Amino acid sequence: MSVEKNWEPKIIAFTCNWCTYTGADLAGLNRMKYPENVHLVRVPCSSRVNPQFILRAFQKGCDGVMVCGCHPGDCHYATGNYFTRRRFMLMKRLLEYNGIDPQRFQARWISGSEAAKFRDTMTQVTAQIRELGPNSKFQEKWYQEGGPENE
Amino acid sequence: MNDTLEIKREAQLRETARRLLEDGTVGYIIGWGTTRFEDKTAPLFAAKPEEADRLVWNEYCINSLAKYSLDDKYPEKKIGICVRGCDSRAVNRLVNDKQIERENLFLIGMPCSGKENSVCEGCSHKNPVVYDILIGEPVEENTEEKASAERFREIEEFEKMSPDERYEFWAKQYDKCIRCYACRNICPACSCKECYADQYMVGWQGKQNNRAESQVYGLTRAYHVGDRCIECGECERVCPMGLPIMRQTKKMLKDINDLFGNYECGVESERAPVLGEYDLTDRDEFM
Repeated sequence: MSVEKNWEPKIIAFTCNWCTYTGADLAGLNRMKYPENVHLVRVPCSSRVNPQFILRAFQKGCDGVMVCGCHPGDCHYATGNYFTRRRFMLMKRLLEYNGIDPQRFQARWISGSEAAKFRDTMTQVTAQIRELGPNSKFQEKWYQEGGPENE
Repeated sequence: MNDTLEIKREAQLRETARRLLEDGTVGYIIGWGTTRFEDKTAPLFAAKPEEADRLVWNEYCINSLAKYSLDDKYPEKKIGICVRGCDSRAVNRLVNDKQIERENLFLIGMPCSGKENSVCEGCSHKNPVVYDILIGEPVEENTEEKASAERFREIEEFEKMSPDERYEFWAKQYDKCIRCYACRNICPACSCKECYADQYMVGWQGKQNNRAESQVYGLTRAYHVGDRCIECGECERVCPMGLPIMRQTKKMLKDINDLFGNYECGVESERAPVLGEYDLTDRDEFM
């Protein structure tokens, strides 16, 4: 697929309300700059994220998807992120098995005080996705426009 | 297959079925019956003692029967079901998922030495793991080495391909999918009354029959049943387009085995699915 001019990666990050979203807030308060390619979706807990959200995000045109939550043991709801951990360890492998690049789906633990980690992670992930280029796998639009014949 | 032994087993099955129907232990018996074709059998519901003779037992008895009990959740009398190893695991699955009551079932155990079905090759449970009455003698199980070597062989080979090749393979498979949902309807782990795929609200499952939607369906289905799959291979058998559906769910099982220790579904009567529980000592790779 030819890379369109001025292409910018589109990354969606599901962030837990209590840790990562607060961390992002703190990054903002401290005037830290992170790439505007990352779009945050606030969820009550990282275990709120249905693995289907990830599939849907790729389908609707995201180049990268992230799931971020509290560190294990720090979950606001005590045990939520233990489920997240199991769930996405398996989901990540299933996606890789189906041919998605491992860097396109990532999960991270970022606490409410780790503003710098939030900034660094987002910058790093954006750089990785930028290097990989646009994602055509699982994408609806790409098929509607002719799919493999486009290449 | 030892023919005389199997013929004897069939006679024994009919005799037991007649007795159970006569003395009223069961309301009806779900088994296999003949069809117009010699090499096909179909599920048979025998409700009267004289119908017991229509039950058959041969190498073509491949339909999984346990899921039929879902259509009769509050039976007047017990439901008799013929169970092979895989069916008995399906029963365990449904009981574990709180779909049926074990007390409502009367399980007629049929030791099975493999049917005309490709999944039977690496079968790890030829004898039923749960039954009320066993027909004939238990058969010899596959050795553990053979079963475990066979179990994930296909997956390991597939994993050696490059990501793009894998994607290409699956994309071509999902191009074929007509989304008849036969794999869902037959699956003993798919017991939701209302499936997410039947929802008409935007955001559940798109109804367009294109590659992208079929991929979402395929992966979601694999994930939904992945930690509860009993590896009976019914999804692959019923697929009219011949998709290798088991390869997705088996991949999940393989990862579960790698990450969380040995895991085989439906073997124990009480065990929470892997994704329904957690362990503080799980590996943490999302630092």
